[in-house]
Amino acid sequence: MAKVTREMVENSGIDVDELVELLVKNAAAELTTFYYYTILRVNLIGLEGEGIKEIAEAARIEDRNHFEALVPRIYELGGELPQDMKEFHDISGCPPAYLPEDISDVNKILEVLVGAERCAVRQYTHICNITAGKDHRTYDLALAILNEEIQHESWFSEFLGEGPSGHFMRRGETSPFVSKFLE
Amino acid sequence: MKHFNREKLSTYNGKNGTPAYIAYKGKVYDVSDSFLWRGGEHQVIHKAGEDLTEALEEAPHGIELLEKFPVVGLLK
Repeated sequence: MAKVTREMVENSGIDVDELVELLVKNAAAELTTFYYYTILRVNLIGLEGEGIKEIAEAARIEDRNHFEALVPRIYELGGELPQDMKEFHDISGCPPAYLPEDISDVNKILEVLVGAERCAVRQYTHICNITAGKDHRTYDLALAILNEEIQHESWFSEFLGEGPSGHFMRRGETSPFVSKFLE
Repeated sequence: MKHFNREKLSTYNGKNGTPAYIAYKGKVYDVSDSFLWRGGEHQVIHKAGEDLTEALEEAPHGIELLEKFPVVGLLK
């Protein structure tokens, strides 16, 4: 634990225990999403599915990176991850991104993907809202993750044809916003 | 349609098997089936059994997510 770090956050008026609980729930959401996206990705096959596989993979890897980036902050603030992986799964801040019943329906897979990203966008917006101007490091981290979650949402949304596309495929390495937090 | 006052609403807190109800602008919604309201809590800080009209104004989502759930009564 980083004693003075926690003290500074407490002094800013944030309930640190509540914040840590939120971070742990979101870490759980990231790791479980990484797992469920693995299953979604392997089922993205055929002419339609293969075209989406690459962005599903980028989102999958970046969600794992988000988990990795969140963990140090949880411990700095005096929190910890549950000992039991099953417990960790069940406290996730977002619902499981289960494979749809009809696995050949690429649109249904996209709906699962965009639904998961929308949950994440709300989660990190919430964390940014409560930490802005108070807990600078958690805010910076949550904002970096939010930037990537917004891109994921846009990719899947645009494949669903929900609106005009302002995005291109990611160039270069994954996690352009979060990589600075990865040690 | 049932009528609730704040005291009655507070008993539907989603704990110990009770349903999770929340109020918004005078309507009482049953959010028991929501993944995001498991255990009668949402985003750590929001509790079932309460009027969340003010809280929802600051939430990172609108009323559309609440409208997916059944209205079970009115808050007096």
